[in-house]
Amino acid sequence: MFEKSLYDLIRGLRNHKGNERAYIQESLRECRREIKSQDMDLKATALLKLTYLEMFGHDMSWASFNVLEVMSSQKYPQKRVGYLAAVQSFRPDTEVLMLAENLLKKDLTSPMPTTIGLPLMAIPHVISPSMANSLLSDLLPRLTHSHAAIRKKTIVTLYRLALVYPETLRPAWPKIKDRLLDENEDPSVTAAIVNVVCELGWRRPQDFLPLAPRLFDLLVQGGNNWMAIKIIKLFATLTPLEPRLIKKLLPPLTSIIKTTPAMSLLYECINGIIQGGILEGAEGTNEGEEIARLCVGKLRGMLVIEGDPNLKYVALLAFNKIVTSHPHLVALHQDVILACIDDPDISIRMKALDLVVGMVNSDNLVAIVGGLMRQLQNAPAASTTDDPANDRGASQGVVPAADPDDEDAEESLRPAEKRSDQPPPLPEEYRISVIRQILEMCSRDTYANINDFDWYIEVLVQLVKVSPSTKAVFAPEEPPDVVATAPGRRSDISYDVGYELQNVAVRVRTVRPEATQAAESLILFDRREQMFPASGNGGQGVLESAAWMVGEYAEHLISPDGTLTSLMHSSAMQLPSHTLAIYIQAIPKVFATIAGGQQTSWSAERKTIVILLMARIIHFLEPLATHPDLEVQERAVEYLELMRLASEAASAQGTSTDGSFTDPPLLLTQALPSLFTGMELNPVAPGAQKKVPLPDALNLDAPINPNLSSLLARAERDTQTLSEDDDIFSLYNKRPTPAKQPTAAADRLSPPPKEAPSYQRAPLSEEHLDPELIARRKAERRDRYKDDPFYIPSENERSRSETSTPFHAILQNSNGDELDLDAIPIMDLNLDSKGPGSGTEGPRKSGTARASGKKKLRRKVEIIGDETLDAPDEAASTSLSTSPQRPELVRPAQSSSRGKKSLLEVDSSGLGSLSLDENGGASKLDIERREAEEAEMARALKEVERLRLEMQRASERIQAREDEGEGSLVRRKKKKAKAAEGLGVGGEEGNAEDAGEAVVKKKKKKKKQAKEREAGAEEGDEPQEVVKPKKKKKRQVLLDESAAS
Amino acid sequence: MINAVLVFNNNGQPRLTKFYTQLAYLPKLPPQPDKSADTVQQRLISEIFTLVANRPNSSCNFLPLPPLLASSSKSTTPSEPHNDTPSLVTYRHYATLYFIIISTSTESPLALLDLIQVFVEALDRLFENVCELDLIFNFETLHATLSEMIVGGVVVETGLERVVEGVKAQGRVAKRPVNEGKGGLGFGGGGLGSGGGIWAGR
Repeated sequence: MFEKSLYDLIRGLRNHKGNERAYIQESLRECRREIKSQDMDLKATALLKLTYLEMFGHDMSWASFNVLEVMSSQKYPQKRVGYLAAVQSFRPDTEVLMLAENLLKKDLTSPMPTTIGLPLMAIPHVISPSMANSLLSDLLPRLTHSHAAIRKKTIVTLYRLALVYPETLRPAWPKIKDRLLDENEDPSVTAAIVNVVCELGWRRPQDFLPLAPRLFDLLVQGGNNWMAIKIIKLFATLTPLEPRLIKKLLPPLTSIIKTTPAMSLLYECINGIIQGGILEGAEGTNEGEEIARLCVGKLRGMLVIEGDPNLKYVALLAFNKIVTSHPHLVALHQDVILACIDDPDISIRMKALDLVVGMVNSDNLVAIVGGLMRQLQNAPAASTTDDPANDRGASQGVVPAADPDDEDAEESLRPAEKRSDQPPPLPEEYRISVIRQILEMCSRDTYANINDFDWYIEVLVQLVKVSPSTKAVFAPEEPPDVVATAPGRRSDISYDVGYELQNVAVRVRTVRPEATQAAESLILFDRREQMFPASGNGGQGVLESAAWMVGEYAEHLISPDGTLTSLMHSSAMQLPSHTLAIYIQAIPKVFATIAGGQQTSWSAERKTIVILLMARIIHFLEPLATHPDLEVQERAVEYLELMRLASEAASAQGTSTDGSFTDPPLLLTQALPSLFTGMELNPVAPGAQKKVPLPDALNLDAPINPNLSSLLARAERDTQTLSEDDDIFSLYNKRPTPAKQPTAAADRLSPPPKEAPSYQRAPLSEEHLDPELIARRKAERRDRYKDDPFYIPSENERSRSETSTPFHAILQNSNGDELDLDAIPIMDLNLDSKGPGSGTEGPRKSGTARASGKKKLRRKVEIIGDETLDAPDEAASTSLSTSPQRPELVRPAQSSSRGKKSLLEVDSSGLGSLSLDENGGASKLDIERREAEEAEMARALKEVERLRLEMQRASERIQAREDEGEGSLVRRKKKKAKAAEGLGVGGEEGNAEDAGEAVVKKKKKKKKQAKEREAGAEEGDEPQEVVKPKKKKKRQVLLDESAAS
Repeated sequence: MINAVLVFNNNGQPRLTKFYTQLAYLPKLPPQPDKSADTVQQRLISEIFTLVANRPNSSCNFLPLPPLLASSSKSTTPSEPHNDTPSLVTYRHYATLYFIIISTSTESPLALLDLIQVFVEALDRLFENVCELDLIFNFETLHATLSEMIVGGVVVETGLERVVEGVKAQGRVAKRPVNEGKGGLGFGGGGLGSGGGIWAGR
C-alpha cells in the first residue's frame, strides 16, 4: 500500500529540505484520510503521525474523536498511541472527554499493569471536576495494587484530582496517609508520597503537622537524597507553625550539612534552614550560632571553592534570601559576592547585582560602579535585536525543518565543551538592570554615598552612551492619546538617566553649572555621535531632561548659540512629542538669555543678530503650530506669537548710530526673561501638594462668575459678528510686516492700572505709584492676610535683579478686567527659610557632617531634600511616610499583574480551603455511602450511554431512510423521559446525600441529556401525549438543582 | 511541581514537548493557516531557545524566565514566593539536544539537574549510546520514559533501573533504523555525566 509510517514521515521530512511546509500539509491531508479508515493499524499510525506533527504546532484537535477510537483499541501498542495522542492534544474542555470516561474506568480496572498505567498517566492532563468525582471510586482501589509503579502513579493522579476538585482528597487522604505510614512500603512509593505531600504541604501546612514524626524518621534514616530534599522543603513550611520542631531538626540538619557529599541536599538543607526561619528560631543559642556560621560558610565555599557556575548561582540565591533577615552575615562575605559581579555568566551577575546594591557605601561605590561601567562599555552589544542570527527561533518560527546535517544528530548525547569562552554578549535586560542598579546605588538616600558629583555626572553621561536601544520608536504622527500615556517611556532606561541628571542639577547647586554643561553636550547636535550609542535609538530619552536643563539653567551654558541651534535642528521634529514640547519650552528660555542682556547697547549688529535669531525660531515653530500633539501645538502657538511680537518690537527699536548707549527693546530685556526667571524651582516631596490646607475664605463650590451663561452667550454673538478682516483674524493669519512702523512695546504699555496684577511679586511699576498709596495698600494687605500663612509678604521676596515689567499688563488691558491677582494666595516654596518644611529633611549639609571622619576630603555640597509640610490631615501623612522619597527611581517599574494568571500556572487555591482535619471531614461511613452512590451513578451512566448508542444507531438507520418531518419533536421527548427516569434516581439520591456533589453530577448529566436530545431529534414517530410527563420530570430536576445550589 | 518538560535540538527543533499544566492558546493571535507555528506553545519554545542558544557552555544551567512567563508572574520577589507559578527554568545541554524543565519553586534546582541526568541516562540505557536520531524516530519511547519518571508534574521515580524496567515492560524498544545511522558514533563507553558526580542527589 501507499501509507506512510511515522518513520516514512520523518524520512520524508528530512528529504524535503526547503519545502517542509508543503510536505507537511500534504502529510496532514493524508492523515485526515487515513484516520477515517476502518483499519485500526492504519488509524493508529495516522494518529501517531499527527501527534508527531502536533509537536511542531499543527493543530490536531479535530481528530479528538479518532483519538478516542484508538484509545479503545484492544491492542496495547495501539492503545498506547491513543493515550499518547490524548495526553498531547486533549484539554479539560475537549468535548469527547465525556465519552472517554467509561474507557478510562475500564482501563483502570484492567488486569494488565501496563494498561492501568496508561489512564493513570493520562488522567492528570484531561481531568475536569466532574470527571474527578466519578473516577475517584476507580482510583482508590488502585492504591493497594500489587505493583509499586501503579501505586505511586495512582497517588500522583489522586493529587491532580484534588487540584481540580478538592473534595476528592477527603476520601483519598486517609489511604495515602496509610501508605506513607506503612514501614514496609516500597521506598519509591514513599518517595512519591513525600513529593505529593510536599506539593500539598505549603497550601495547608497545619494539616500535615501530625505527619512530622514519620517524616522526621524518614529524614534521619536517609538513603534517598531526593526524598530528603523534599522532606526538608516540607519541614521549612511546617516549622513556622510548630517552633518545637526547630530544636528537633537542628541536629540532623547539622549533621547532613557536615557530612553529605550531595551538593543538592546540602543546598536544600541550607535553604530549608533559611526559609523555615530556623535561623531566627535558634537565635541566641549555641546551636543557632553554629548553624548560621556553618550555613554561610558552606555557601561561601560554594561560591569560591567549587568553581561550578550552578553552585555559584544557587549560593547567591540563598544569600539573597538570607540578606533580608541577616544582612550582617552576608556582609561578611562581601568580597566573594563582589567578585561575582564580574562573573562571565550573566545569570550569576544578575543575582550578585541584586545583593551588591544593598552593600554599597561611600567607600566602595566608585569602584563598584566603575566595574559595572567597564562591563557595559566593553562587552559586545549583542542582543536579539542587533543580531538576527541569534534569533533563529523567533524569526522563522518552529517548523519541522530538515535537519541540517545528519552527523550532528548522531552525535552521542554527552556534554560537549566546544564553544569558545569569549566575553558574553550582554542581553538588553541585563544592561537595563545594570543601569537601573547604578542609578539606585548612587541616588540612595538622596546621594548619601556620593562624594564627588563631578564623577557622578560623568557616569551619567557615559550611561547615555551605553543605553540599549528601545524597540518602540516614537514618530511625530503618533496619535495624541498614545503619547499621553507614553508607552515606551517607562521601559526606556534613558529617561531615568535624564531624570537623574536633572535631579542632580536641581538638588545640588554647586555642580549645577557642570550638570548643565553635561546636558548641553548631550543636546549639541554635532556631538550627537560621540555621546549616544552608535546604532539604534538608545539614550534618546535623556534629551527630555537635558532640554529642560539647558533651558532652565541657560545662564550656565558654554555656548548658548550652539545650543539654540541644536534645539532648533530639523532633526528635533522627529522627536517624540513629549520631548518636543520640552524643546519648544527651552528655546525661548535660551533665547531670552542670549538676547536679554541689558548692559550692551542696542547696536545695529546686535539688532541684526537678534532679529535673525527670532526669524529662525519663528521658522522652527511655524510648522509645529499644526502639530497633532496638543501639548506641542499649544506651546508652539504661544511662543510663536510671542516671538512675532518681540520681532516686531526689535525691528521698530532704533539703533544707536554713534556708539552711544541705546536701550534695547524692553520686551527683549524685561518681558521675555521675566517669563522664565523668578522663584527657583525646588524639589517638592510627593504628596506635599495635598497637605496645603484650604484657606477658610476660599469656597471652591461658589461659582466664579454667577452669570457665566450670559457671558458665553455674548461671546457667541461676538464671534458671529467678526468679519474676515478683523484684527484678530489678521493677527493669526497674516505675517506681521516689520516695515509697518509698529510702536515699541514699551509705548504700548499703558500707565499701570491702579491695582497692578502680578503672579509672584509686586510689580516694579509700583514705584511709579504714589508712595503713600503703596504704603497704605501694603498695610491693608498685611492686615488682611496676617493670619494667612500662604500669603507671600513682599519683604520675603527674592532680591534677584528685578527686571519684571508688567508685561501682562498689555494683555490685561486688552482684556479690560480688573482682578486683583495678589489676592490669590501662593504657596511659598522658599527653601532657604526653615519654613514650615520639617516632614522630611531640610537642606542637608552633608559635607560638614561627614568629611571630618573621612580620609578623602569631601567637597562641600549641599543637597536639597524634598520639601514638604507638616501634615495636618492623617491621610496625606501616611501616604507620604510610606512612599519613598523619590519614587521614580527607587521603585522600578513593576507590573501590577498580580491578579493575572500566569501562563503555566496551576490553580490550587481550592485546596487551600479544604481542611483535612479528620474530625472535621467526612466520616468513614460517609465515604462508603458515597462510594456506593458512586457505583450507582456509574450504573446509571452506563445505562444512559447504552441508550445513547442505541439511539444513535436508530438515527443512522432513519437517516438512511430519510423521511419524517413533523413528528420528530415528539419522539425525542419520549426517549428523554425514559433516560431522565434513570438519571433521576441517581440524581435525587445524590441530592439527599450530598448536595454539592450532586450539582456536579447533574451538570454532567444535563450534558448527556443534551446529547440525547440531539440524537433523538433525528428519529421520530411517537404519539404526542408523552410530552407532558417528560416536562414534569425535567422541571423536577431543575428544581432540585436550584435547591442544591 | 514540574510544569513542562521540553527537548529541542541546537536549531530549536522540538523533539519532545510535555506540558503538565495546560497552555492556553493566545486569543489575540490571528489564525494563520500557513503559519501554524504561532501557538503559545511554539512561542514559548522559541523564546526559551533564544535564551538558551545565547549562553556559553561555561554558564550556569538556570535561565531567567522567558518573556511569556515573566510577564504574567510576579514570583520573582524573594519575600513571598508564589508556589503555583512557574519560576524556575532549568536546562542541560547534551551534544545536539537541550533538555529543559520548567517548574515552580517547590522543586529543588539542583535536583532537577540530576533529574535530567537520570532521564538522559535512562534513554542511553534503552537505546544503547543514545543520539538525537534515536529520539526523533522513537518519540513514543521518549514519552514512555518520561512518563515513568514524571506523572502529572510530580516526580515518581528517580532510580535509573526502575525507569528502564518500566519502559521495557511496555514492549520492545525499537532500534534506530540501520540505514539511517552511519555506523560508529565516535563516543564509546565512559559515563555520561560530566557533572553528574557533583550532585550525587539521586
